[in-house]
Amino acid sequence: MTVRVVLVDDHHMFRTGVRTELLEAAPGFIDFVGEAANVEDAVSVIRREEPDVVLLDVHLPGGTGHGGVDVIHGCLGVETAAGAPVRFLALSVSDAAEDVIAVIRAGARGYVTKTISATDLASAIRRVADGDAVFSPRLAGFVLDAFGVAAGEIAEVDEELDRLSAREREVMRLIARGYQYKEVAKELFISVKTVETHVSSVLRKLQLSSRHELTAWAMGRRLI
Amino acid sequence: MSTAPEHPRPPLVRPTDGRVLAGVCRGIATHLGADVKVVRIVFVILGVVSGAGIIAYLFLWALTPVEEAPSVIDPARPVQEQGGHPSPGAAAGGGGSATAAPGASSAIPRGAILLAIGTLTTLAGGIALLQSSGWNVRAGVLLPVLLIAIGAVLAWAQLDTTQRARWAGVDGWRGLGLARLGFGLGVVILGLLALATRGQSVNEIWDVALATLSILVGAALICAPFAVRLWADFRREQDARVRETERADIAAHLHDGVLQTLALIQRGADDPAYVTQLARKQERELRGWLYGSQEDPSQTLAAAATAAAVEVEELHGVPIEVVVTGDRPLDDGGRALVRALREALANAVRHGSPPVSAYVEIGPAAVEAFVRDHGCGFDPDTVPSDRLGVRESILGRMTRHGGTAEVRRRDPGTEVILCMPHTDTGGDAHQDAGAPDRAGDQRIPVETTVTGSQETAPTEPRPEPDLEVSIETREPDPVPRGGTPR
Repeated sequence: MTVRVVLVDDHHMFRTGVRTELLEAAPGFIDFVGEAANVEDAVSVIRREEPDVVLLDVHLPGGTGHGGVDVIHGCLGVETAAGAPVRFLALSVSDAAEDVIAVIRAGARGYVTKTISATDLASAIRRVADGDAVFSPRLAGFVLDAFGVAAGEIAEVDEELDRLSAREREVMRLIARGYQYKEVAKELFISVKTVETHVSSVLRKLQLSSRHELTAWAMGRRLI
Repeated sequence: MSTAPEHPRPPLVRPTDGRVLAGVCRGIATHLGADVKVVRIVFVILGVVSGAGIIAYLFLWALTPVEEAPSVIDPARPVQEQGGHPSPGAAAGGGGSATAAPGASSAIPRGAILLAIGTLTTLAGGIALLQSSGWNVRAGVLLPVLLIAIGAVLAWAQLDTTQRARWAGVDGWRGLGLARLGFGLGVVILGLLALATRGQSVNEIWDVALATLSILVGAALICAPFAVRLWADFRREQDARVRETERADIAAHLHDGVLQTLALIQRGADDPAYVTQLARKQERELRGWLYGSQEDPSQTLAAAATAAAVEVEELHGVPIEVVVTGDRPLDDGGRALVRALREALANAVRHGSPPVSAYVEIGPAAVEAFVRDHGCGFDPDTVPSDRLGVRESILGRMTRHGGTAEVRRRDPGTEVILCMPHTDTGGDAHQDAGAPDRAGDQRIPVETTVTGSQETAPTEPRPEPDLEVSIETREPDPVPRGGTPR
């Protein structure tokens, strides 16, 4: 099955580059159905095409000035033909925590930097299309920081939204160390599926938690 | 009073500390290099004798700016804080005021109260004197005027407080401040009413009051658009100026960094490695400028670790993904860890293959650092013992400082794991570790300069890593007093 992808980025050269590289790295896997360079175009293209995955730049012109976050807000409730929600994968050069956290909290399923290799990007797109989360080492680092893991805060019950469980913490630490999902699975003697479950659970906490650090980061972008 | 200062005269500002009323006298004293006591006495005499002192004081109060916030670097400030003067001639007088200055900020209310009582007593005495000498002082005029003056002073003083609070980053229009302003306004209105009625009933001046009010409202209606326009213009101009400054700042930065790099890239376009390195360096710099923290690498562990990674990246032109969580001040253990981390990264970059990632977790009890590469990997046990990079600079250094180091083989590549507990092992462990550490640091540049030009094969006359020689065969250690590895 091919994944229908819309590419949203305000740099024409970057869009061309990503498209070419992805088509080379994973031929027949990705079907580029649309492109957009600003918030308004992006929303209309996504609403028209109902793609599986949107590759979304964090900083975009137009909208209310919040870039990718505006696109996600503008496409709430849009579903693909198969009935799954349109999923967003943030792709950015920005290292700023507030940018990363803001776009994740708006609903993106993952965050990767633009320096990612084409094969890694292809597998990230596959993962997001399957409804899983994609964490770069940097995002894992932000998560560990934001949830106070470095300071030793660990949830006693998994359901707690404001802290990570011990297992989630292990997974996040390994991802921060540069491990691929399958390496994480091997290291912790669990299946890749379980790793994906943990990462998705962390993503959910990241989106729903009212932890001060997270809201403060989002506040920095005036989103709340 | 006047001096010939060798320094330029400090600006005429009203200081925030050491003032009795509004800081006018102290400001003048600092500006003229005179004794604040003398200035105050002159003002009081002038005020009592002719009233000129009071008028001058009020004018100066209104027109002299308040001294900028303490955070702003102001050459005049330390001088004022000491309560002294820049000129040596007034040093004797400065000593006198220096004793008053430290307690002055807490003594402001007392000073103000004393002054108020003194003024009232003087006034009352003066009035009594004038009455007895046959003058007709009309209390019906004098009292309201006094009331108006007091109210105005109260309200105006609020202006100062607000300004100060804004500089301190606090909203000044709150609670007490508002109450004071309201009270001041109330007193003024009361005084005005009393002055207007002068003993008559309020009803009789009702028509006049209404007429005045309607004129005021009319004037306000006519003036409002102008005032709004003026204010908007002012704001726009201010915004434009801020933007202009920022733009100039960005332009300067781009010129210094990005444009220079682009010029270099154009000239060296036929050398891909060089271009990549330049681009990478520029990217990092720009990133640091855009998103970076202004942490000093010599102060905090996180900044030091990041700086070490950046350094290695710059030397070898291989990107390193660095993730740091938590932070703490840099201590000896932290420094050792950063050096070991640097060496591990240099190894990963030289012998492994990208992606190279580093993760430093600064926890409550220990710092852990992980360096991961995706090369073909190597077995630490087969590393020849004269390869000091791993054995001495990483394992040895960590053990000497009470930490641990471990080299693990991963499926693709190698991972170096460093752990340094926070419990500082004390000065003695650090002292005897100092010498080998320095020796180790001297060795690093030698290694890197030799291998820096080529990525893989070191040109030193040393056996290649994959040639036999187990770690057991200890040969003469070039480092004196080097700790035992692992």
